[in-house]
Amino acid sequence: MSQYLPIVVLFILAVLFGVLSFAASRLLAPRRPSIAKEAPYECGIVPSREPPERFPVSFYIVAMLFIMFDIEIIFLYPYAVSHTALGTYGFLAILAFSVVFFATFVYEVARGGLDWGPLQRGRTFTVDAAMVSPERTMTSTIRRVGTDGRLPAPGTEEAA
Amino acid sequence: MLALDPILEGPLLWTPLFIIIGKVLFIFVVGLVATMFMVWYERKVVSGMQNRIGPNKAGPFGMLQTLADGIKSFFKEDLLPTRADRIVFRLAPFLAFVPAFLLWAVIPLGGDFSNGNDGTVTWFGHVTRVQLADPPVGILWVLAMSSIGVYGIMLAGWSSGSKYPLLGSVRASAQMISYEAALGLSLAAVLLSSGTLSTAGIVAGQNSLVDWNVISTGIVPFVIFLIAVTAELNRPPFDLVEAEQELVGGFNTEYSGIRFALFFLSEFMNVVTMSAIMVTLFLGGPQPLFDIPVIPGALEGTIWFLVKLFAFLYLFVWLRATLPRLRYDQLMDLGWKVLIPISLGWFLLLAALREFSPDGDAAESLRVVVISFVVAVIATGLFAAALKVSARNRAAANQPADNTGVTV
Amino acid sequence: MSDATFLEFVVFFSAAVMILGGAVGVITMKNPVHAALGLVLTLFGVAVQFVAMQAHFLAAVQVIVYAGAIVVLFLFVIMLLGVDESMDLSIEPIPIQRPLAAVMAVGLVGLVGAAIVRARDALIIAPGDGIATAADAGTHDANIKQLATNLYGDHVFAFQLTSVLLIVAVAGTVLLTRKWPKDVADTESSDA
Repeated sequence: MSQYLPIVVLFILAVLFGVLSFAASRLLAPRRPSIAKEAPYECGIVPSREPPERFPVSFYIVAMLFIMFDIEIIFLYPYAVSHTALGTYGFLAILAFSVVFFATFVYEVARGGLDWGPLQRGRTFTVDAAMVSPERTMTSTIRRVGTDGRLPAPGTEEAA
Repeated sequence: MLALDPILEGPLLWTPLFIIIGKVLFIFVVGLVATMFMVWYERKVVSGMQNRIGPNKAGPFGMLQTLADGIKSFFKEDLLPTRADRIVFRLAPFLAFVPAFLLWAVIPLGGDFSNGNDGTVTWFGHVTRVQLADPPVGILWVLAMSSIGVYGIMLAGWSSGSKYPLLGSVRASAQMISYEAALGLSLAAVLLSSGTLSTAGIVAGQNSLVDWNVISTGIVPFVIFLIAVTAELNRPPFDLVEAEQELVGGFNTEYSGIRFALFFLSEFMNVVTMSAIMVTLFLGGPQPLFDIPVIPGALEGTIWFLVKLFAFLYLFVWLRATLPRLRYDQLMDLGWKVLIPISLGWFLLLAALREFSPDGDAAESLRVVVISFVVAVIATGLFAAALKVSARNRAAANQPADNTGVTV
Repeated sequence: MSDATFLEFVVFFSAAVMILGGAVGVITMKNPVHAALGLVLTLFGVAVQFVAMQAHFLAAVQVIVYAGAIVVLFLFVIMLLGVDESMDLSIEPIPIQRPLAAVMAVGLVGLVGAAIVRARDALIIAPGDGIATAADAGTHDANIKQLATNLYGDHVFAFQLTSVLLIVAVAGTVLLTRKWPKDVADTESSDA
């Protein structure tokens, strides 16, 4: 147990460092809170929407699957450390375990448990062709508003 | 078989106690200085790669820039957002940087491991290791600490009561736990070849270049470990956590002043410690490639350790300067559908090789490899079929909606 | 009292405070996230107790699996459902559950007490005999090697059954969260 003593000392030192930093900052830093400063960050605009209440279920599936994998990994470590002593019997045990585990994983993947984001469709060539066609120019894709009384953009003939 | 750190086994007298306290203070200072260095190094190297000058005002070559930034953060106002959860908001920085510090404890920073030495040194008449502690959990300490590090990020985002930090932290924690699985599986391959949990033992087992785990486990676990560590550290190209274009600053958007500085500190300290852990696991830690004349053995170990460490630090900066960020579904697919199956398969292959061809006989090894190859082909086919089924189901589920023009 | 036993006492006492404090926190905190953090504290206390009993590998597993995976899942669920606000504990959704919980708690305390009383004599193991330890005790891997021999030797059937348990968990997750495309089509047609 005494092997952990230096770690405990380091832990205390690290926590102390954090606490003292906070204390020093409290003494040195100004404290002029205002409503605008303490509002949730919204790139300068007044926050209008609440933070999201619910998250996609995929995150939950990932956390659930991670538990499975964590347990599998934890079972692998004892085998890995003492595989010489365990022999073929141990190898077959871990192999059987892994095969069952892999089958479960395949089932999970087949049921779409690990699909993320919107469906990815391969972009068709025709769509790309339309996007880069020579008909699309600066004047045809951008609608100009409020240009009355301005000088015509260089190179454009039909300006008002 | 390596015994535990001898200095902690005997009765605790004054001299060992002072050595321990000295070690702790040393590690603490090294941790802070290394982190400060890493911040400067990253900025300098990236600026070089982007054809800029980078920090050059504070100190020689701008080396004191991080110190200046750190001191500045003490003088900055420390805001507590109105919607924040007051307790957890204050607790989160601690949960992030205390584990980062504690990771240093198990890394062998030096010592003479060459020619089968066990890496112990004698200080003031006491035999000890050039590492803070060598607890019996060994390398599992790293996994434990990184699983606590997740809490810091997760709770920081949640407690801010603001939308960007929350999105960033949920992304981050899902990403970190996903890659922790790949990390753990490739670590199992290392344990297979080392046969011990002790970090000093893992280093001692990598006696010559061919024994380095990067070679003796056949490079694949190393590559997977490197990718997983990059994702675990939320470094580019896996920095979706703080994707500036989408999430402002990610989980620490609402943090300011010294609290932000602590997150920043822990982030860069983790880069250094994780690099050091990769050096320990795969590149033999303080093991020398060749004997440097004049310099004594124990110091030589530290020099080799630092050389290898720098290679990784440079690699991380290089990755940041080179690779664009992944999309979130690509990130998850890479972690779950590529890295995890490969690392599990590779572990079984290595285990089979060790089991059925223990002395590396060519014919036996070939037989194992051929059988494994067949099994791998079947498994890949099964997996590909699963992917196809899932893709077809998704397309079918989306089809009616597309026809009627209803957006789902 | 020698130094070693005093140290053990300090460790035991602080771990016990962590466990009990965390457990009380779990049931008294009104905010579910705070309650989950209390649970983490309890789990850490248990890990420290494992270390004090020389079960180092188990302590690591305790932190990695329970604190690192299971409570993260809890937190995800709390965030996922958007229930991370303080609850009014005076509302009782199912009327009978509180008296039932009290009865069960008393029963559990009785059972544990009876077990302690019964096992008090049986658990005194003379040093030397009792639970066998690996030959290389005192090194790093005594713990994990002993566990490996047990897991892959004597209890291999139970170990394999664990994989079945994991299958059930994964299948349950998938069934609860994903639909077959046919179901999707059905619900959509019924909606229309």
